[in-house]
Amino acid sequence: MLLSVGCGGRPETADDSIRGEVKVAGSTTVLPIAQEAAVEFMEANKRTEVEVQGGGSSAGITQLKEEVIDIANSSRELQPGENDGTIVDHKIAFDIIAIIVNPDLKITNLSRKQVKAIFTGKMTNWKEFGGPDREIVVVIRDQASGTREVFDKIALGSTSDKPVWCVPSAIESASNGVIREIVGATPTAIGYVSYGYVNKTIRAVELDGVSPTIENAAEGRYTMARFLHMFTQGEAEGPTRSYIDLVLSDEFQEEVVGQEYIEVKKVKRQ
Amino acid sequence: MRARGGEAVTGACFKGHAFADRENRVKVVMLACASVAILAILLIFLFIFRESLPSIRELGVKNLFFSTDWRPNVADPKAGHYGMLTFIWGTLLTTFGAMLISTPLGIGAAVFIDQVAPDSMARVVRRGIELLAGIPSVVIGWFGLILLVPAIARVTGTSGYGVAAASLVLVVMALPTITTLSAETLKSLPAELKEASVAMGATRWQTIYKVLLPSAREGLLIAVILGMGRAIGETMAVQMVIGNARAFAVSPFARTSTLTTRIVTDTGEASGIFRSALFAQALVLLLIAMVLIILIRVISRKREAA
Amino acid sequence: MKGSRADKAATVVFWALGLVTIALLAFIIIEILARGFLTAINPKFFLGKPEAIKAGGGIFPMIISSLYLAALTILISLPIAIGAAIYMAEYAKKGRLNNFIRFCLDSLATLPSIVFGLFGLALFVIYFRWSYCLLAGAFTLAILNLPILLRSTEEAIKLVPNTYREASMCLGASRWTTIRQVVIPTALPGIMTSTILPIGRIMGESAAIVYTTGLFIRNIPISPFDTAAPLAGYIWYAQSEALVPDYRQIVNGGAALLLIIVFAIYFLARWAGNRYQQTKLLGPKMK
Repeated sequence: MLLSVGCGGRPETADDSIRGEVKVAGSTTVLPIAQEAAVEFMEANKRTEVEVQGGGSSAGITQLKEEVIDIANSSRELQPGENDGTIVDHKIAFDIIAIIVNPDLKITNLSRKQVKAIFTGKMTNWKEFGGPDREIVVVIRDQASGTREVFDKIALGSTSDKPVWCVPSAIESASNGVIREIVGATPTAIGYVSYGYVNKTIRAVELDGVSPTIENAAEGRYTMARFLHMFTQGEAEGPTRSYIDLVLSDEFQEEVVGQEYIEVKKVKRQ
Repeated sequence: MRARGGEAVTGACFKGHAFADRENRVKVVMLACASVAILAILLIFLFIFRESLPSIRELGVKNLFFSTDWRPNVADPKAGHYGMLTFIWGTLLTTFGAMLISTPLGIGAAVFIDQVAPDSMARVVRRGIELLAGIPSVVIGWFGLILLVPAIARVTGTSGYGVAAASLVLVVMALPTITTLSAETLKSLPAELKEASVAMGATRWQTIYKVLLPSAREGLLIAVILGMGRAIGETMAVQMVIGNARAFAVSPFARTSTLTTRIVTDTGEASGIFRSALFAQALVLLLIAMVLIILIRVISRKREAA
Repeated sequence: MKGSRADKAATVVFWALGLVTIALLAFIIIEILARGFLTAINPKFFLGKPEAIKAGGGIFPMIISSLYLAALTILISLPIAIGAAIYMAEYAKKGRLNNFIRFCLDSLATLPSIVFGLFGLALFVIYFRWSYCLLAGAFTLAILNLPILLRSTEEAIKLVPNTYREASMCLGASRWTTIRQVVIPTALPGIMTSTILPIGRIMGESAAIVYTTGLFIRNIPISPFDTAAPLAGYIWYAQSEALVPDYRQIVNGGAALLLIIVFAIYFLARWAGNRYQQTKLLGPKMK
């Protein structure tokens, strides 16, 4: 999905020593962050133009290697075949995927086996888990979602050769916000969201007795977590460098990244 | 207005007939404008077909149109499965549910407007129906999402999303079409028909049931078919309440997708053969619409012949 | 007696059916306005800049996108509709070609709008390489709206009394001169009136534009080749992506505002239509 950020309306006092165009594309998970950064960047540097598009992590990486774009957003690591040694990785955020249920359900812990059984439709009624005799409503993300990719891989054991599919009756949602909304409103629903979306309207359950917290994820006990990346071809220079610096700045990390994800500096892993 | 027209006529008298050549050219331009409709239909067919061709070729008719196996692959489109039968069924099921309610409601409201209601009331209902037709589908979808879905969830203990919610939303979309066209048909019936019936001692209900509705049969059928067309083609309102699942729906409260909702949900992310499969779904919609149009043509020809 | 009881029951049923439609309309209007009216009329909202992921965004560029799109669409389709309507009303003879044109118009009127959307995506956005922009949306909607616009234009032209034409022709005017000097000026107020209603429809359309104009922008589109985000499409996008924390409020406000706009256009069209009919019936006011 193309989302263009136009120009205009920038303050007169802006610094214009930085100029040029930055093209960004890739992961839809990173898209809102990249877009917000583009707005702030263009407001601060009025001689620049930042164009941000979605398309998914894979498409972004392909375009970066073809030098169509300057920055590839990705919600996954580079795959062995993709890295020829010239791509530079900028980790811009850390994300934990939490499994969430409606607070009415008296369920606080699920084993990995149970999670797989629920999401693949082998178990379809909460009474099998000591809950009410009601159908389990599974809520998942859309196919292009990096969050779904990571969840499928880690929680369901899906691989590109042998993909594992969620139960066909699962509700597909385009965002974390909508999943939280549906799970919060449906007494029998279960889903997954990025860590930043966990609040009182839903309950994050433990996975094999480990709760989804920053400490548990950073120390490797909770494995459904990943970094979000901005990849560049070689070291970033010029406006591309300044743009990434803005994304990594303490202020932006705190105000924007921290709203939905975890600031990179809070995670010491690697 | 009349004065201006008169002036123009006198002005024209002196320069008129010298332009036989220009006359023909003008006619060609006007014909060209009228032919835009033909061109548009041809282009739509051409492009939708052209874009669906790769998926038809690669997957074959059976795997594409008659399979329920929908497992797309965004990263590697060729590795996915793109059977659309589930969504064809979803479209038929939601439309059927909608017609079940909107047909009696729409024709009933039309009879009310034409036969039962006092003039002022008839006008209120007619205006109301026109306003209903004007409500944008995203607004009706949002209404469905925040009111219908929770209500269905409460009553049935399901998630609330699904075929039933979609059908109810579609009632709102199809109702104005059915009511307006049915009322027009009833109005066009000769007045003698009703007078004769009443003169023979029939009550109002008998007149409506035994005389008016049977004589309006073809027109009412066309109204219902066009209402059906609205329901089949509706996209946003249905997408917001149907649950966007890929399961083959067997219960009225099952979550599924229709052709239109699958297209609008996935087109943004799809590429290659995945996208082509979505165009193939649009091709099916296109063919369904053509069948409806031809059906209407046949019916109205029959009506004219009768 | 039996007949009369059935008659009474039927009357009650028909009243109920008639009233259900009105109740349905009232219910929708009340629910939508109750949730969004206050947001919709808040200048901070309707004159505000949208936010990508933060709370407190407005929808001004979306309103401008909708208006811009409607203007472009009418600009493209009206000349074609008038030309086609003149052909159908003044030139066309009953026959195969005429029949086929009608068939195509009926088909255009029945095709789902998402099919137009995909067509616009394939032709304008991808094939012509325009990318998501106002013009791609406007051309798509121009085709979508052609049947309605043509029908109402044709009706306005047919309302011109034949005596006008005869008077002009027997004074020696050619057909084109008659059309240009007599028919069009007489029908013009009617034609103008009949473009109002389609504007409402254009502004409410979403399925045909989400993949032709774009879905999200932060700045007002200037050129027809700029990406835009008409209000109806943005409402869908906002509720489906829910990226901003206050998306419910934005969708409530946007839906209420869209409803108000579309209804205002409807009543404007009615008012103009009535006025036009009155002047036709009573004759022009003499200067």
